[in-house]
Amino acid sequence: MSTAIETPAIETRELSKRYGRTSALTRGSIVVPQGRVSALIGPNGAGKTTLLRILAGLARPTGGTAAVLGGAPRQDPAFLADIGFLAQEIPLYRRMSAADHITIGAHLNRRWDGALARTRLAELRIPLDQRVGALSGGQRAQVALTLTLAKRPRLLLLDEPVAALDPLARRHFLATLTAAVADAAGRLTVVLSSHLVTELERVCDHLVLLAGSRVQLCGDIDTLLAGHQALARPESGGPAGDVTLEELVLAHMGADEASAVKHPTTVGEGS
Amino acid sequence: MSWVVWRQYRVSATITVALLAAFAAVIVVDGVQVASRWHSVVVACAGSSSCLQQQAPLVNGVISDLPYISLIVPIALGMLWGAPLVAHEIESRTTDFAWSQTITRTRWLAVKVGWLLLAAVACGGAIGALTTWWSGPANAMTGGAFAPGQFDTQGIVPIGYAVFAMALGIAAGTVARRTLPAIAVVFGGFIGVRLVISNVLRPHYLTAVTTYSPVGGTVTPPGQPWILAQGAVGPTGVTVRSGWGGLYPAIPASCRALLPTAGTGKSGAVLSQVFSCMAAHGWRGFVTYQPSSRYWPFQGIETGIYLLLAAALIALTFALMGRRDA
Repeated sequence: MSTAIETPAIETRELSKRYGRTSALTRGSIVVPQGRVSALIGPNGAGKTTLLRILAGLARPTGGTAAVLGGAPRQDPAFLADIGFLAQEIPLYRRMSAADHITIGAHLNRRWDGALARTRLAELRIPLDQRVGALSGGQRAQVALTLTLAKRPRLLLLDEPVAALDPLARRHFLATLTAAVADAAGRLTVVLSSHLVTELERVCDHLVLLAGSRVQLCGDIDTLLAGHQALARPESGGPAGDVTLEELVLAHMGADEASAVKHPTTVGEGS
Repeated sequence: MSWVVWRQYRVSATITVALLAAFAAVIVVDGVQVASRWHSVVVACAGSSSCLQQQAPLVNGVISDLPYISLIVPIALGMLWGAPLVAHEIESRTTDFAWSQTITRTRWLAVKVGWLLLAAVACGGAIGALTTWWSGPANAMTGGAFAPGQFDTQGIVPIGYAVFAMALGIAAGTVARRTLPAIAVVFGGFIGVRLVISNVLRPHYLTAVTTYSPVGGTVTPPGQPWILAQGAVGPTGVTVRSGWGGLYPAIPASCRALLPTAGTGKSGAVLSQVFSCMAAHGWRGFVTYQPSSRYWPFQGIETGIYLLLAAALIALTFALMGRRDA
C-alpha cells in the first residue's frame, strides 16, 4: 500500500472556498494516495460537496491549491478525461434512456467503454431502453455509477451516492464499486462522501473527516485507529480492532468546535 | 456533441418543422388565391392608379393577420428554446452530468448555442420569405413594404429578430440560472427592444428626405416611400400636421381675415386665397420621408443592429460560463 514515491491522487494545501461571507471550506489540507478508497466523512454542511466539486473542476477555490492526479483541476479535456464525478442528486436526463446516456457518453468522451456499461446494466437487470425517470432510485444510481465507470476514470469522486438508497440498493451499489476498484488493480482512486460511517467501513481504507468546514482527520484508517487507540486507551495496549471507525469519527466530530482553531491532524502519507 | 443537441431537441425540432410546414401550406394556398385576385384587379383597372386605390382589399378577416405570425415566431423561439438552453440543465442538475464528461464547458455551450442560432436563422428566414412572397400583391396595391408593420414582417429582418430573441433567451437563462425568469426576460426584453428600435431608432437610420411644396398643395414622393411626417412649416420653422385641423390654428391673423366669419363655408377660391396669403407669410407645405430605394439598406441596418445585440448577449453568456462555478 505504500505509495510514498508516486504522486498522490489528491493533494490540497490550505484549500478554501467562501460563498459571500460564509466559508464552505477552510484551509483544508489533505493527501489521498493513488489506488486508495477514501471515505469523506462529515455532518451535513461540513463542506464535503464543496471539496468534491473543487476536485472535479466544477467549482474554483477562493484560496489555497489543489493538485489532482498531478495537476490543478481545470477545464481541459486531458484533465476531465481522468475524473469521474457523480453528484449527490444523481443527475441524468430523466426523459432519456440508459442507452441514450451510453451514446451521449460515447460522443462526449475520448475513452469510453460502452460495452462494459451495457454488460453491467444487463447483469443488474436494468432496462436499457426505458426512460431513466421511470427507474427506481436504486436503479438510477446504478445507471449513473455505471456511466461514470464507463469513462474509465483514474479518480472517482462520489458525493453521497448511497444517501437516498434503501439498504439492499446500497449493498448492490457498493458491490459494483468494489468490483470496479478490484478490476482496476490499483489504477483507480475513489473518494466517497457520506455522513454515515458504518456503510463505508467495509469498502474504504482511507479517511478524510470534515466538520465545520475544516479537515479534522486525514489518513490511512488503520493508522488512524492505532493512533486513536493509543491516545484513548493508553493502558489497554490491545489490538487496533478494539476501537471502531465510528468511535474515532465521533471523537473528532465532537471536538468540532474546539478544534476549529487548531491545525487539522494529518497522519501517515509522509507528506 | 452535435448528436447530443439533436437528441435533446429532436422532439421540439419536429414540432417546429411541422408548425412551419402548416404555416407554409396556408400561406401558399391563400397566396395563390390572392395573386389571382390581384391579377384580375390589375386587368380590370388597366393601369389606372386611382382605380386600384378604390378596389376592395385583397385579403380580409383572419387571413389578413397571417403576416403577424412572423412577429410571434422570434419571441416564441427565445422563450421556448433559448431560455431553457442553459437554465433548464442547471435546474435539473444535468450540467453536473454533461460537465463531468470529457468536454469543456465552453465547447459544450458553443455547440448548443451554434445549433440553436442556426435554427433561429432558418426559422426567421423561412417565415420572412413566406410572408414576403404572400405580401407581394398587397404591397403593390397599398403602398409598399416600407411602412411600419409591413417592414417588420418581411424581408430579412425576421432573421435578425429570431437570432436576437434566441440569444436573449440563452443569456437570460445563463444569468438567472432558472427557466421561468429567463422566459419573462425574453418576453419583456424582446418586446421592449423591438418597440424602442422600430419607433425611436429606425426613422433615423439615414437622414430623412424633406421636399417642399406650396401650402395646400400635395407632393407625392416617387415609388413606395416611408412617409414620416407631412404638413406645413412656418417661417420660424414651426411645423403643423397636414389637414385643416392642424393647419387652422397656425393661419396668421391677417390671412384668417380672408375666411368667412362663420368659419364654415370654405370655398375653393377662398382657400386658395388663404394659402397664397400664408405662402406670402413664409409658409410651405412639406413631406419628410425615407425614399423607397432605401428599403433594402434599412432592412440591412435593422438586421445588423439585432445581430450585433445578439453577438453581445452571446459574448456575455460565454464570459459568465467561463467565470462562474458550475
